[in-house]
Amino acid sequence: MKLPFIHRAPDEASAPGVHPTPFWSLRPRTDRESGDAVVSNFMLHWFPAKVYKPSLDWNYSFWLGTMSAALFLLLIVSGLPLLFLYVPSVERAYQSVKDIEYVVTFGWWIRAVHRIGAHLMVVAVVLHLVRVFLTGAYKNGVGAGQQREWNWVIGVVMLLLTLFLSFTGYLLPWDQLAYWAVTVGTNIASSVPFVGPEVRELMIGGRTIEQATLIRFYVLHCIMLPGALGVLFAYHMWRVRKDGGLARADRAAVLPAARTTAPVASKTYTLLGVARGTAPTVRTSSLDAPDLTVNAVPDLARRAMIVVLATFAIVSLMASGIPSPLEEPANALVTPNPAKAPWYFLWLQEIVTDTTIRIGSFTINGAFIGGVVLPGLLLTVMTAWPWLDRSPASAAGRWFPSDRRRQNQVFLLIVIVVLVFTVIGMFLRGPYWNLYWPWESWPDIPGRI
Amino acid sequence: MSDHGHDVSKDSPSGVSPQDGGARRQFLIRLGIGAGGVAIGAQSVASLRSLVPNVSYDAPTTVKLGNPVDFPDGLKFLPDERLFVFRTGKTFHAISAVCTHLGCTVRAEALSQVQETQVGGQAMRLTHRFNCPCHGSRYNGDGTTISGPAPKALAWYHLSVATDDGQLVVDLAHEVEHDFRLTIA
Amino acid sequence: MEKRTSSPYPSIDRPVLAAIGVVLVGATAFFAYSDRQHDYKWYQAEFRSQVAEKFGDEKAAGVRAGVQQVWIPGLQRADRCTTCHQAVAWKGFEDAEEPLRTHPPEILKAHPPERFGCTSCHGGQGWAIDTAAAHGEVAHWEEPLLSASLGDAYTMGTNKGALIQMNCNVCHRYERETPGAGMINRAKALVEEKGCRACHVINGRGGTIGPDLTAVGEKAPEQYDYGRLSGQQTAFAWHVAHLKDPRALVQDSVMPNFHLSTTDAQALSMLVLSWRPARMSADFIAGVPRADVQTAEQKRAEDEMKTGPGAWFVQTGCFVCHSIAALGVKSPAQIGPDLSTAVDDTQKRFGMTVDDFIMNPTGTMSVVLTRQIVLDTEQRKVAIQKLREAFAEHQKQQAAGAAGPAVVSHQPGS
Repeated sequence: MKLPFIHRAPDEASAPGVHPTPFWSLRPRTDRESGDAVVSNFMLHWFPAKVYKPSLDWNYSFWLGTMSAALFLLLIVSGLPLLFLYVPSVERAYQSVKDIEYVVTFGWWIRAVHRIGAHLMVVAVVLHLVRVFLTGAYKNGVGAGQQREWNWVIGVVMLLLTLFLSFTGYLLPWDQLAYWAVTVGTNIASSVPFVGPEVRELMIGGRTIEQATLIRFYVLHCIMLPGALGVLFAYHMWRVRKDGGLARADRAAVLPAARTTAPVASKTYTLLGVARGTAPTVRTSSLDAPDLTVNAVPDLARRAMIVVLATFAIVSLMASGIPSPLEEPANALVTPNPAKAPWYFLWLQEIVTDTTIRIGSFTINGAFIGGVVLPGLLLTVMTAWPWLDRSPASAAGRWFPSDRRRQNQVFLLIVIVVLVFTVIGMFLRGPYWNLYWPWESWPDIPGRI
Repeated sequence: MSDHGHDVSKDSPSGVSPQDGGARRQFLIRLGIGAGGVAIGAQSVASLRSLVPNVSYDAPTTVKLGNPVDFPDGLKFLPDERLFVFRTGKTFHAISAVCTHLGCTVRAEALSQVQETQVGGQAMRLTHRFNCPCHGSRYNGDGTTISGPAPKALAWYHLSVATDDGQLVVDLAHEVEHDFRLTIA
Repeated sequence: MEKRTSSPYPSIDRPVLAAIGVVLVGATAFFAYSDRQHDYKWYQAEFRSQVAEKFGDEKAAGVRAGVQQVWIPGLQRADRCTTCHQAVAWKGFEDAEEPLRTHPPEILKAHPPERFGCTSCHGGQGWAIDTAAAHGEVAHWEEPLLSASLGDAYTMGTNKGALIQMNCNVCHRYERETPGAGMINRAKALVEEKGCRACHVINGRGGTIGPDLTAVGEKAPEQYDYGRLSGQQTAFAWHVAHLKDPRALVQDSVMPNFHLSTTDAQALSMLVLSWRPARMSADFIAGVPRADVQTAEQKRAEDEMKTGPGAWFVQTGCFVCHSIAALGVKSPAQIGPDLSTAVDDTQKRFGMTVDDFIMNPTGTMSVVLTRQIVLDTEQRKVAIQKLREAFAEHQKQQAAGAAGPAVVSHQPGS
């Protein structure tokens, strides 16, 4: 397939700095074209030219970052038709979601893709963070000027954005589930001493969840947060490249070099040599060794494609099989029993249940201890951890290295506790937040007639 | 996206298996990858189908306008239906107030002198003319154009009497000729 | 061009990618197929074939396909019931099985679906297009279809179809009696008979010993205490049990046991649950006057005018401009002269007899009598006769009441 306007004759001259064809060429016929192919190829700027083979292993990174990005892309794409169909008004929001469910062709599926994609994105991002921690991938290796610890911080911020994106989307259907999950969620914010109530009032645009809240959450959900996440995502990826790829790739440089006596060529990872100062320098002898690396295109690109398409396929299948819930219209007069926060906050709800402290007549609301102090402390320690972690550089990019055993154990313990609390909150809490075993049935929910 | 996969893989030396049936294997692989690309495309296009409405929230085209005796002799403008209903004694007719140029609502202006003409082969007394505020189209009292950009006359709509409660009914989907009159006994 | 390094990946990754492609095709086919599965398609085909059988293919071609909707902006209801219940407005399916049965036409005349929709009366979920969801037999929908089978579930016997009357009374709550709503009427009579208002405020009037019941129908089902209720746990079941024996459910209740029959308790429960604050415009509420209220004095005067000796002038429309003081007719506008002396007046004003003036009027009356009040020759003769009678009455009053106050100032040229 050769379209005349895409494939110009190679002898046709063009001015310096002018790319003569509308797209890049995959089969360059001149040096000029091959140079242009590199300069103008988006994929080649996303990916390095060559990648360290073990970085591609399925069982090292599990491709969780790629999966998160694929889900983010899917959420943007599936959100577009919903933007046309959803009405952000308290009178019409619930109805418009009912319409999407019942009479819009494929509406139920698009909504389910968006919902399941959002839930899976929270899962993927959290697992990505767990993977990065366990492999010590926030640690700088041998490259001079690496700043992986800052990319970890960016990643933590992106996790928070992902959670907040999901949380803002939670309110939009304007049903009981949405209304009370957001009530519980925003009241945790208001338990911060001194500024809490003001923060909540600013967040929901008043003292009760009303039209002002809906439009705030809507704009945050559709414009501000995706925009912020997109920008941070681009920066996150850029930093990954600036830091020399996955932490595992550093290990190639740590391997004994072929010749240590003669001066070796070094390679600077910069964008066409433009960036200066902070780019890591790695000995090329090991990176360019043919048995250690492969071309990013096609091998990395193909694997990325596998991950992206597999993610799409899984979400698509799940969306066809799992209906999205839509409860009764939001009713400020009736709190459903039980009223649960979104599942990724349930471990917090579980903690706030048990952390109200009474010393004599002095009472501290559990929402403050369990909802603000504890997660705040966890978040602070987690963000600062790259600077607190004193293990050697050789511990980076490996699963369960012995010199990081203690901190990995503690981290896993925290993860498991959060997980257990989440599972308890999701499956074992029934009416009045009583514990019910899975084989115990909840009391019937009474109806009107 | 899958095209990308194709072209690149052709160059890769280890992509072709030396076994018997390697060519068929390669073909099946390409078919699979291509089908995946087509499926992704189909899902995107399918999502666009959601923008074609399946139910209508528009006002119905057949509207009850009220009791015929409540209409005054002469002209009554109904803003909801964008309609002028004319009554002369016991006969009624209805002319659309939607300008045929670009759909603005025309305004009725009383003539200082009643105009006697033949409309659709019947004598008719024209008491008004219509002016469009958007681009200055002018219409006679029977809806025919006088001047301005309007390409054709204002529509006349079918009137009838509801069988259940005797109200006047307009069918905004049913245009009629200029000789249409509804006479109520 | 740089030589590429050998790679072990394509031989595994490309088949994997191909397999994912196949899965994606399957996923796409799956969701496209799922979207097309609706039971209304079967019902519509069935109805079309029944119409073809009864009325021929031409009529059958007119049966509408696809999702049907009645949208009532005033009630914020979009009812899609007629997607399956297509025979609602058709004649000839009175004895067919649901969903293809004709709706009883009498009630539809007073409650046209294009104004009230379906779910306002029947309950159920109008948004949905599949049977279970539309009939409200799903989680998270609190307005089930008020069907006979639901009535059966409450052992309502011969009244099993009466539950729908609850929804009648959302709009008809201020009426003493509503035709067709037997159970509700019975309950309203019971409210008076048993004196519920002695303790309860109902519609803004009553005692304060018991709770205000004006909006009790809106109380959430979760807010009742079902601890002592056996069987169905619904607000309706609670009310039935509570009305039959208040203390069985609320131990320290001071409400007396009225020893109501089951039917009476059910009727009252329906009434009580229908007392919901109506979130709709007054257009939909029966019994709310939407007219300026007249005082009794104004009404009496108007009735007298309409039925008194001057009734003809009122009915014909003369009184809009003219008073006829001698006959007790007072014009609201009083634009024209009093017609009591018209016989005399026409001579003074126009120089002609009243007969000539009525037959060939001049000035304003010529316009009025050709455009607004169109009278044929017979009717004009009646008019002349009536004017003479009025003048006779005027002269009689003048003669008799010379001492009394003059009813109408009578000056030439006024």
